[in-house]
Amino acid sequence: MINFTINGQPVSANKGETILQAARKAGFYIPTMCYLEKTTPCASCRLCVVETDKTEGLILSCQTPPTEGLGVIIDSDRLQTERTNIMRLYDVNHPLECGVCDKSGACDLQNKTLEFGVSAQHFSAKDQHRAIEHWGLINYDPSLCILCEKCVHVCNEIIGDDAIELQFGGYKSSVIPKNSDTLDCTFCGECIAVCPVGALVSSNFQYSANAWELTQIPATCVHCSAGCSLHYEVRHTSNALGGESKIYRVTNDFEHTTLCGAGRFGFDFDQQSEKDEAEFDKAVAALQNASAIRFSSMITNEEALILQRIKEKLGIKLYNEEARAYQSFMNAYSSVSGKAGFGGSLDAIKQSDGIIVVGGRISSDNPMVRYAMTTAARHNGAKVVYMHPIEDDLLQNVITQFVKYEVGTEEGVVAMLAKTLLENADIGDELQSYFKELDEGYLCAESNVGDEEYARILKTFARLKRKTLIIGSDLLNHKRAANIARLCAMIETHTEFSVVVVAPSVNTIGVSLICDLDADKGGEKVVGYNAPGDYTMGSFADSMLKLPSLNAQEGTFVSISHQVLPTNVAVAFNGYTLNDIANVFGIEAQYTIDYTAQLPRNRGFNGTKFDDLGNFFGTLGEDNRGYTLDNIDVEVSGSLEEVETLPEFNGSVVYRCNPINQFNGYTQKTSQLEKDTTLRGSSQFAAAAKIGDGDKIRIEFPQGTQERIFKLDPTLKGTIALVPAYDVGFGVLNEQYRFEKVKIMRMGSES
Amino acid sequence: MHHEETFTDRNVSEQSAYYYVDIESYPTTGWDKFKQVVKRTFSGELFVGLWVVMREMIKFDIHTVQYPLEKLPIGPRYRAVHKLLRLWESGYERCIGCGLCEKICISDCIRMDTKIDENSRKEVTEYSINLGRCIFCGYCAEVCPELAIVHGDRYENGSEQRAHFVIKDDMLTPLDMLKAGQQSEYPGFGAIIPGSDAAVKKTPLAY
Repeated sequence: MINFTINGQPVSANKGETILQAARKAGFYIPTMCYLEKTTPCASCRLCVVETDKTEGLILSCQTPPTEGLGVIIDSDRLQTERTNIMRLYDVNHPLECGVCDKSGACDLQNKTLEFGVSAQHFSAKDQHRAIEHWGLINYDPSLCILCEKCVHVCNEIIGDDAIELQFGGYKSSVIPKNSDTLDCTFCGECIAVCPVGALVSSNFQYSANAWELTQIPATCVHCSAGCSLHYEVRHTSNALGGESKIYRVTNDFEHTTLCGAGRFGFDFDQQSEKDEAEFDKAVAALQNASAIRFSSMITNEEALILQRIKEKLGIKLYNEEARAYQSFMNAYSSVSGKAGFGGSLDAIKQSDGIIVVGGRISSDNPMVRYAMTTAARHNGAKVVYMHPIEDDLLQNVITQFVKYEVGTEEGVVAMLAKTLLENADIGDELQSYFKELDEGYLCAESNVGDEEYARILKTFARLKRKTLIIGSDLLNHKRAANIARLCAMIETHTEFSVVVVAPSVNTIGVSLICDLDADKGGEKVVGYNAPGDYTMGSFADSMLKLPSLNAQEGTFVSISHQVLPTNVAVAFNGYTLNDIANVFGIEAQYTIDYTAQLPRNRGFNGTKFDDLGNFFGTLGEDNRGYTLDNIDVEVSGSLEEVETLPEFNGSVVYRCNPINQFNGYTQKTSQLEKDTTLRGSSQFAAAAKIGDGDKIRIEFPQGTQERIFKLDPTLKGTIALVPAYDVGFGVLNEQYRFEKVKIMRMGSES
Repeated sequence: MHHEETFTDRNVSEQSAYYYVDIESYPTTGWDKFKQVVKRTFSGELFVGLWVVMREMIKFDIHTVQYPLEKLPIGPRYRAVHKLLRLWESGYERCIGCGLCEKICISDCIRMDTKIDENSRKEVTEYSINLGRCIFCGYCAEVCPELAIVHGDRYENGSEQRAHFVIKDDMLTPLDMLKAGQQSEYPGFGAIIPGSDAAVKKTPLAY
C-alpha cells in the first residue's frame, strides 16, 4: 500500500495502481477523454493532468503511480485553465452536426465541452477535406475523430486484430486500416463501442435512432458460452412500420466488458408469432405420444429444468448430444479432480502469464477466450502455446509456440503434455509409473510432435506463476474423451494450472448440470425443440409451434466462468412458451422464471430468485451479474487408462469450424453478419482434392452429403479444410468429433 | 408618472347607488297567469327584433362568412395543423431528423424513422403526428433547430376516428408550391426574432 494525499485528503493505492485509479476508487473526479480502464493508458488527451508537490510541471495521472507521501492536487485554477484549453483545442473545427450525429446525447466531447463551458471557437485552423470511410459494418468519419486512440488500443491490446493504426500528420492525422486499403478484421465492433465521439459508428445503425430514444435492456449474449454482458437497445418503429418495438443496436459496458461481432451485430434473430391454439394442441399431443425430446443447448436453465420435469413426468428421453458429450467429459474430469467444475475462468485467463490451448479453433469457437488470451499476452507478456492440427492466422500475434499434431492423436498429445507438466510435481508412485510406461517414441511419432517441443514447453512454463490450460471443444467429442478429461484433471490437480473447458454453446454447461441426458438413438416420435424431430417447436422459420427466441425470453445461462447470468426480454413475443406446454402436463408455474429458484442446489445453484439477480457492472468494474456457481465436491474415483493406439486420418480431412462471427442458427438468421458457407482450404488441400477456387463441390460425410462452393483461403496452410456447420443445424459442430474424413467431388465433373 | 385610480366605495349600503328593483309579484291564480301571457304575447315587442332582421336583409349588406365556402384568415401565430417546410433555394427538406420534436412532444404523438442516405446524410423516411393526441402546444415548432416543423393554417381536424394522423406527405410543402413561392414562413414560436442577425457571433477564421 502506498499512502499519499489528494487535495489534502489521505488516499491509499495498491502497488501498480496509478494516481487516477486510486483517485477514482476514493471517489475523486479527474476528467479524462482517452482513458480506458482495460487498456494501457493512451495518454493522448492530457486532460487528466494533476499537480504534485514533488514535481514542477503537471503530470499525467493516468500513467503515473503515486509515491509514498506524495501530495496531489486534482483541481486548481491552473489545472482548470489547462483543461479548458485542451477542450478548446478539441472543439476547433469539430463539425457542428450534433443534430444528426449518432453520438449526440452520449458523447464525451459534448459532455466535456459543456463541463468546461467552451461556447465559442478561440483558435482557428484551416479545415481539411476528410472523406467519410465505409468499412463494411463500420463507418469512419475522420472529421469527427478526436484522435484519442482508444480504438487503436482495444484493437491491438484486447481484441488482437491489430487492424487499425493512427496515421500521424499533425492536424491531418486520422485512423487508418493497418497494412491494407480497407479494413480487414474480424468486425468485433469494439472500436465503435469505445469511440467517445461519433467518428466510428455502426453503418447499419447510423442515423436510424438517437441515443436518448433507446431503452437499454441488460441481457446476456446467446451465441457462445462466454456469456458476455450486452444491452439490447430497443425503440418503437414509426407508425408506418407498425409502431412495434424493435432492437436497433447492441451496446456493451465497454469500460469493463468486451463484445465480439456476433454479439454486437447479430441481434435480429427474434421471430414473432400469435397464439395459435390448434398448433398448440398439436404440440401437446405430439409430446404426449413422444418417446423423446431432442433439444439444443441454446436454452435457458429454466427451460432446461422444465424439460427435465417433463421427462420425469412423462417418462420420455432427453436428447442433446452436444451437452451429453460435455457432461461425460466433465464427469470423467471430476472423478479425478474431485470438483464438479473446472477451476479456471475468463478472468483467470486474462490474468495468466502462461497459457496452453489444446484442441480447438479458439478464434472462431469462443472469441472471448481469444480476447482474454490477447489481453494476457499484451498486458502480462503471457507465453501462449497453441496446440492444434491447423495453424490459426488470427492468433499469430499472440502465440509464442505453435505445436502442430496429427488429427485424431489428441489422447497421445494430452498424455505427453501431462507427463511434461507433471514432471516435477509430487504425484505419487502409481502415477509416476503410469507416465514412465508411456510409449514416448510411439506417441511422439504418431502425433508428429517432437520431444523438443515438450521440452520447450517445460522450460517456458517452469518459471511462470499463473498458468491456464484451455481445453478446446475438439476434445469433448473425441473417442477417448474420458481419458483425455482425466489427464487434464491431473494437470489441474497436481500443478498450478487452472483449466478452462471451452463449452460449445451458450448453455451447454447449464444443460449438463440440470438435465439427465440419454444417448441419442434416434427413433420415432421425437419432438425437437430448436432441433430436428418429427414434430418441431422452437424459434426458427420451420418450427411448427413457434416459441420465443432467446432475445425474447427471460432466464439464466451458465457461462464458462461458471457464472449464472440473467438475460431479459428485449422484444415482446405474443405466442406460447414452453412453460405453457408444461402447465398442460401439470407442471405448474406462472412464469418460466419461477424455476430460477428451483435450479438444483446439489449441482451448485444457490436458489436465488430471478428478480434478485443483478445484471450490471459497478463504476469500478465490480461484477454484479448473477452469481457464481458453487464448485461442489465430488467423489474421486477415476483412474487413468492406457493410451490407446492413435488413429490415423488420411485422405481429404475437413474440420467443422464456423467462420468468424458465425455460431448457430441464430447468427445465420441475422441480417448484418457475413454468411460464408464455403468450404475453405489451402492450395495444398485444393491440389490434393483436385478442386479449384470457386468450384461447386459435393462433400460426402458419413452422416450425409453437403453441397458447397470451395474457396481458396490464402491464410490457411496444410491439408485440412474448414467446413462450416452453423448453416446445417444446431449443435452439429459439436455432436461428433470435429475432424472428419470425407470424399470430395467436383460437381459437374462426375457426368 | 405614478397613476392612481380614485377609489370608490362599492360596498352595498344605504348611501350607495344600489337599489332594489321593483318586481311585480308573480301571478298566483290561473286567471292572472292567463292575463300575463296574453299581455306579453300581443305587446308588439316581438316585431321590434324581427324588423331589424328584415331591414338588414333588404339592404343586402351581409357580413356572414359563408363557411365552409369562405374562411376567415387566422392570426399568423395561431397553432393549427403542422407543416414541414423546404429550403427556399435548393428545395431540400429542412428537416434533418434530429428527433428533438419527438423527444419534446409532451403528448408523445410524433413518430419518425430516419436512415442514412446514399450521400451519407441523415434522411427522414417516415414522419407522422397523431392529431388525436396532439394538444397543439407548439413545442415541436419551438424546439426545431431548422425551422422545419411549423404550425400551418389548417385548423379543421374533423375525423371519423380518434387516431387521426398527418403523415409526411400531407405536411411537406409540395415542390410546385415552393417554386410558385407559396410557402410561407411561420412567425410563431421558435421563429427567428427580427434583428437577431446582429446577435450572431462570428467564428475567427484567421487564414
